[in-house]
Amino acid sequence: MIEANIIVIALISIALLMSIFRFIFAEEIYTKILATNLIGTKIVLLILLSGTLSVEKDFTDIALVYALINFISTIVILKYYEDREKHQ
Amino acid sequence: MKHHTIPRIVTKLIIPLILLFGLYIQFHGDYSAGGGFQAGVIIASGFILYNIIFGLEVGLSILSINMTKNLMAIGILLYIAVGFMGIIQGLNFLEYNALLDSSKQGQLLGIFLVELGVGLTVSNVMILIFYSFNNLGGKL
Repeated sequence: MIEANIIVIALISIALLMSIFRFIFAEEIYTKILATNLIGTKIVLLILLSGTLSVEKDFTDIALVYALINFISTIVILKYYEDREKHQ
Repeated sequence: MKHHTIPRIVTKLIIPLILLFGLYIQFHGDYSAGGGFQAGVIIASGFILYNIIFGLEVGLSILSINMTKNLMAIGILLYIAVGFMGIIQGLNFLEYNALLDSSKQGQLLGIFLVELGVGLTVSNVMILIFYSFNNLGGKL
């Protein structure tokens, strides 16, 4: 009997693989940043779902920290490219 | 970033939550993952996000460079003071049992104060590193 959370983990892993391919074959830099954000969001979901599998209980804190760093790094990278385009 | 409305509003909404989460990691570090170092980094990341969105002048008016250096020294002094409380009473360095009469209460208070010092120092060092990346013209 396959559990529901394992099915969800498999589906999200497939979506993660598609996001990684989107990152590799992207041409514009903004598409790459968006793909990075997508990969980060899916990894947050995977951390939360793997918290339902094992006996460890504090995966939620780690997922929250990961989501926070994902948000901040996206804004910082976008600001960097904005400033660079302004100077060119 | 004066005219980017969505990052400004989202940052205004999310910064109290970041600081609250940092405090949770700080004070719940005895029972789950976390502690002073991680909480300091999270609080500093919230402050760095504020600096990036609203500009460095606004950030420096809230927490100046001198204030950062003072707070970081206060954190270290708190740690050392808790450590020397044991030596004064003839015990080892960082002997928490010497802080209060009850041994268990002394352990709790000692861990609390030491983690508070570590968190204060780490968050202010991270903010100071961020300031030094923005070459502030010899102000450091």
